[in-house]
Amino acid sequence: MKEWLYKCTVQRLVVVISSIENNEVLERWQFDIECDKNAKGESAPREKSQKAIQDEIRSVIRQITATVTFLPLLETACAFDLLIYTDKDLVVPEKWEESGPQFIANSEEVRLRSFTTTIHKVNSMVAYKKDSFP
Amino acid sequence: MGDNFFFFFFFLVEHQYTSDCSGCFTDNFLCISRAMEDLEDNTTVFSTLRSFNNFISQRMEGVSGQAVPASSQSSLQIQYQQRVQLEEQAGQIHSKSQLLQVEREKMQMELSHKRARIELEKAANTNARNYEREADRNQELLTRIKQYQERETEAENKLKEQMEMNKSYKKSMETMSKKLQEKESKLAEANETITILKGKISELQWNIMNQEMQMTSQDSQKQELMEQLDVQHKKWQEATQQIQTLQASQSLLAEYEQKIKDLEQKFSQQEHDAVIVKNMKTELARFPKMERELRQLREENAYFREMKENNGLLKEEVEGLQRKLERYEKVQAQLVTAELENEKLLGKLKSWEKLDQSTGLNIRTPDDLSRQIVALQQRELVLKEQNSTITNSARILEKARQQLQEEILQIQSQLLDEKKKREQHEALVRRLQKRVLLLTKERDGMRAILESYDSELTPAEHSPQLNRRMREAEEMVQKLHAHNAELEVQMSQVLEEVGNQKQRAEMLEVEMKVLKSRESTAEQSTFITKEEVDALRLKIEELEAERSKLEEQNRSLEMKLEKLTMQGDYDPSKTKVLHFSMNPASLAKQQRKEEQQQLQEECERLRELVRVLEAGGSIHGNLEGVGSFQSPQEVAELKKQVESAELKNQRLKEIFQTKIQEFRKVCYTLTGYQIDITTENQYRLTSIYAEHQGDCLLFKASSSSGGKMQLLENEFSRTIRELIELHLLHQDSIPAFLSALTLELFSRQTIA
Repeated sequence: MKEWLYKCTVQRLVVVISSIENNEVLERWQFDIECDKNAKGESAPREKSQKAIQDEIRSVIRQITATVTFLPLLETACAFDLLIYTDKDLVVPEKWEESGPQFIANSEEVRLRSFTTTIHKVNSMVAYKKDSFP
Repeated sequence: MGDNFFFFFFFLVEHQYTSDCSGCFTDNFLCISRAMEDLEDNTTVFSTLRSFNNFISQRMEGVSGQAVPASSQSSLQIQYQQRVQLEEQAGQIHSKSQLLQVEREKMQMELSHKRARIELEKAANTNARNYEREADRNQELLTRIKQYQERETEAENKLKEQMEMNKSYKKSMETMSKKLQEKESKLAEANETITILKGKISELQWNIMNQEMQMTSQDSQKQELMEQLDVQHKKWQEATQQIQTLQASQSLLAEYEQKIKDLEQKFSQQEHDAVIVKNMKTELARFPKMERELRQLREENAYFREMKENNGLLKEEVEGLQRKLERYEKVQAQLVTAELENEKLLGKLKSWEKLDQSTGLNIRTPDDLSRQIVALQQRELVLKEQNSTITNSARILEKARQQLQEEILQIQSQLLDEKKKREQHEALVRRLQKRVLLLTKERDGMRAILESYDSELTPAEHSPQLNRRMREAEEMVQKLHAHNAELEVQMSQVLEEVGNQKQRAEMLEVEMKVLKSRESTAEQSTFITKEEVDALRLKIEELEAERSKLEEQNRSLEMKLEKLTMQGDYDPSKTKVLHFSMNPASLAKQQRKEEQQQLQEECERLRELVRVLEAGGSIHGNLEGVGSFQSPQEVAELKKQVESAELKNQRLKEIFQTKIQEFRKVCYTLTGYQIDITTENQYRLTSIYAEHQGDCLLFKASSSSGGKMQLLENEFSRTIRELIELHLLHQDSIPAFLSALTLELFSRQTIA
């Protein structure tokens, strides 16, 4: 994963929570990664303190924990899966395989905060299945 | 000193010249030498003796012009030679006079000489002896010296050894001293440390004392504090008691406050109620008025309702009338417009009718007009074609004109170049003419100078002046030439610049003319371009409308894209989705599948078991076949249990059978009847004393529990009818009947 980030081949990271019984996707956490490809060529390091980056990450994690207020309860037994959206021409390593995008059919989307390290920018959002009973 | 020696010797020579005895000389020399012992050492004396002998030998040989022993001073030698010659001359004169004296003295001298010789020999002997003694002494002394030297060397060696020893001892001493010093220093340090430690000990003791003092003071403080603590404790208890009382009083206060609040609320409510009562009173006072008003209002209400209905109707009528009014107004307006149009049309018609009169054509009907229009259109088409051809030709002509203008420009530029060249050439010509003039002038000047030269060749006095003048003149001429050349160069440069400027100016004028001509042509073609401008404006508007539409489409598409990306869409041609093969969701699915399969298998096994159990087959075999999922331990246990239960059952059965048989036998022997169960409720009794084997009584249980029995009719019961009637019908007692029967049969047996 570190290699892929360094080479800017990762476009998106998705955590999919689906129920075990019927394999229906209940929640979908999506993190878009925008990479600045010129950063490898530049020799001067970017001016952003690690503390500032950690503050931004902290606020994103707080937001994620706060999503419990509006996300619907998961009452069935669930399992999660990690999907990585990469460039088409990337060599698929062992133990990894291609899969589908695992959309949610009737979804509500909420966009969360983003944070940036001046080389990568990460946008986060959560999509959950709209309850049929409002 | 050497010179003195020489002079001294020479004076001696003067005096002793007469005597030719070398030995005398040597004796005298010895005396001299003795006398001069205090002078320098013997070596110099012996050297001077040698030189003197040489000189003497030389003197003996001759006088004049002898080689003097090597002496460095030449002038002195010359003077000396002169003197010697003089002296020799004088000496020769004197010598002769002295010869006689000398011969006289010679005799005396010989005598004295002999005496002296003897003395001298004696002295020599003594001297030789002394010398020998002294030589011996010398040798002794030398030996002694040697001994002493040897001793000295030994002593020196010893000294050296001693010195070395001394040095070694010194070194050892030094080392020892160093060690001593170190030890002393260590001792000093130790002493210092001891002193320091003593000081520390004293300090510590002092500290201990201080701390003991502090301890005692602190103990006293502690006691005081304990006392204070007790006091405080007591105070605290009192305070707690007070607090409790205060809390109780506070609670009471709170209750009272609540009561007060309640009372206040009640009071306020009562006030409100009082106010309300007052209002109510006032209102009540108003009541009859209100009733009257009510009646009036109801009447009015009814009236108003009627009015309202009327109003509604009227409003509808009004609305209808308004609509009609509007319509009529519209119609009127239309009428007015129609009349205006009518007038206009009439006017147009009249004008159209007048056309006939105005245009002078035969136009009475619209057909004629249309025909005229068609004709006009045809003419227009023709004219347009002509126009287009004319415009084409105009464009072609314009192009030709532009080409011609360009050619003109080129030609003009060439002309200018030619002019410039011509001017340059003219300037060159002028310069050359000027040069020529100058050269001619020079030539004339030179000729004049030459002529002057020719005329004035003879005076040589003026030649230098003339030469100078010539030179000056030549120099002036050269300077003038150089100046001239520079001026000509500058002139040429300036002329070239002027030519360039003129060329540029003429070019600019030509361009200006061309631009002016172009402007004039452009003005002519403005109205042609206006059409193009309008067309372009229309195009621009259309394009802007398209652009706005495209922007809206773009926005909507972007929104859709955003929504899709939010949902997780991706571009399959550029990205792909990867996930771990062994990811938790698939693992959970697999587990689920396995569980399901297991559960299904269990289910099937259990169903088979149930079927088997219902069928009642042996459990063991089926268990073995079906219950494979059960552990073999459980199977063995269950088998054991089953076997034990079966054994118990069998044992119980055997025991029951034996007991039953026993009981039946006992009953048979005690009661005399064997009771057998034939069918469900029928009992067969055979007596012990029965005459025939088939004699039996059949009883049937009327109730299920067997409380009431009924006798059934058979052959044997017919034989004992009397007994049956007596015991069963009359007495209604089966035991009496049975016992009577046994008695009778027994009596029959015994009798028979």
